[in-house]
Amino acid sequence: MLVELSQCVFGYGPRPVVQVDRLEISEGECLGVFGPNGSGKTTLVAGIAGLRRPMAGTVWRSDRTRFSFLPQHRSLERQWPMSGLDAAGLAVSAWRPLGWLGGDSRRVRAQMDALGVRDLAARRFSQLSGGQQLRVLLAGALAAEPQILILDEPTDGLDVRSRAALLEILRAETGTGLCAILISHDVEDLLEAADRVAWLHVSQEPQAASRVEIVDPAELGRRVAAGGR
Amino acid sequence: MDGLLEHMYSRFWIPLQVVWPALVAAVALAVAGGIAGVFVVLRREALMVLAMPQIVMLGAAIGLRFDMPALPPALATAAAALGLIGWFRHRDRGDLILPALYVGGLSLAILMVANAGAHLTEVQNLFCGVDVAVRTDEAIFGSAILLIAGGICGILWRRWLLFAQASIAAQLAGLHPVRWNALFLVLLGIILVVATNTVGTVMVWTLVFLPPATVLPRARSLPVAMAAAAMVGIACVVLGFALSVTMGWPFSHSVAGAGFCLFLAWHVLGHALGRRTA
Repeated sequence: MLVELSQCVFGYGPRPVVQVDRLEISEGECLGVFGPNGSGKTTLVAGIAGLRRPMAGTVWRSDRTRFSFLPQHRSLERQWPMSGLDAAGLAVSAWRPLGWLGGDSRRVRAQMDALGVRDLAARRFSQLSGGQQLRVLLAGALAAEPQILILDEPTDGLDVRSRAALLEILRAETGTGLCAILISHDVEDLLEAADRVAWLHVSQEPQAASRVEIVDPAELGRRVAAGGR
Repeated sequence: MDGLLEHMYSRFWIPLQVVWPALVAAVALAVAGGIAGVFVVLRREALMVLAMPQIVMLGAAIGLRFDMPALPPALATAAAALGLIGWFRHRDRGDLILPALYVGGLSLAILMVANAGAHLTEVQNLFCGVDVAVRTDEAIFGSAILLIAGGICGILWRRWLLFAQASIAAQLAGLHPVRWNALFLVLLGIILVVATNTVGTVMVWTLVFLPPATVLPRARSLPVAMAAAAMVGIACVVLGFALSVTMGWPFSHSVAGAGFCLFLAWHVLGHALGRRTA
């Protein structure tokens, strides 16, 4: 097991945002995180990753757990000049002293090779298509050799082929032991890639935290299709 | 041939012997300002570059008013301003403090020496960049500090890129955005304080902003952008010096004029060539 949450509440200042009774995250699984805007998806994942301390409850993480993050390609600052290799090197550079890639640039290139984007290393990142950008960033995030990869709305703005390719890569990586946390609004993504889904239900009471329900993706699909909760 | 050499000698070499400290400081600022300026433009910190020299002016005016060296009070006012900027940004009010500091520094610096004739002229010269006399020791000390601060800023380019593009990835690796942002502001503050105190505001505004703004739209990577901005900055200084000597214009304004013309020409030419190839 990599992470275990027990009776946790996460929030900002005195305001609780999301509460989860129990959640265990293990190697080789894809955990979907689903919920409406403002329900606390990002807060929950920040709590899992240790970026936010729990207001109540306990979080246990394995000592060897390394997180990596795949940013939304559309959220990147496009005016910053960077090559494909610079973009792919972002996640690895976070773990290097002063950010220099050094010998790790070989690992980044090898991962780009594995995802078929090695030829984009010297291209200007902002001139790549959305699908290419995402694969370049994914290669970088995987090159950081994480145990847990966090993906924030990764298929947002992608065409059908790029989306299918991304989910296929994700399934292949979880097959080799990687744990993925997939934040998504898209039930189709979760049906295809997730093993379990943490579904956030917004409380009807003001100032009360969202509640997390762990469901099977098929169950999520049925209940969303029925328009229910 | 001999006549031409003699003409060049008398036209440039003799003035060079007088103004070389200012020229050395300006070249050092071109390098440091070009490197740091790339991140100033990308991080949208241009207002900081406008405001900070005014704050340095206030420190320099305090120094003049009380017959002290200008640098220590300039550093103190700059440190206080950086603290204020950090505090306002922490409260999500960063957009309010920089214009206020600009106006405050501009007015208080003049008020501080308003009735002290010669000091008023000195402060006005630092503001305008006219007749800024740079001593040899100032040039050497200032240039060393500028190159060190600019060098650190350049070495850390992947950190600035990481925080701009994937701050969460940085935090997952245990890096603190607040501390790294503070480090960038301190490095920029050092460059602005030392350069303003040495060569005046016009040169600082010119060499920190114009060269990066010239090269960034066509740069493919940050190291290329930093190197190109430093080279354009040095070209501005050399061109400005030549213009200053031949036309009898003030040095800082000649550098600024050259920088502005290069900026405009580069963008217009780039646009025209882009349209032709499109």
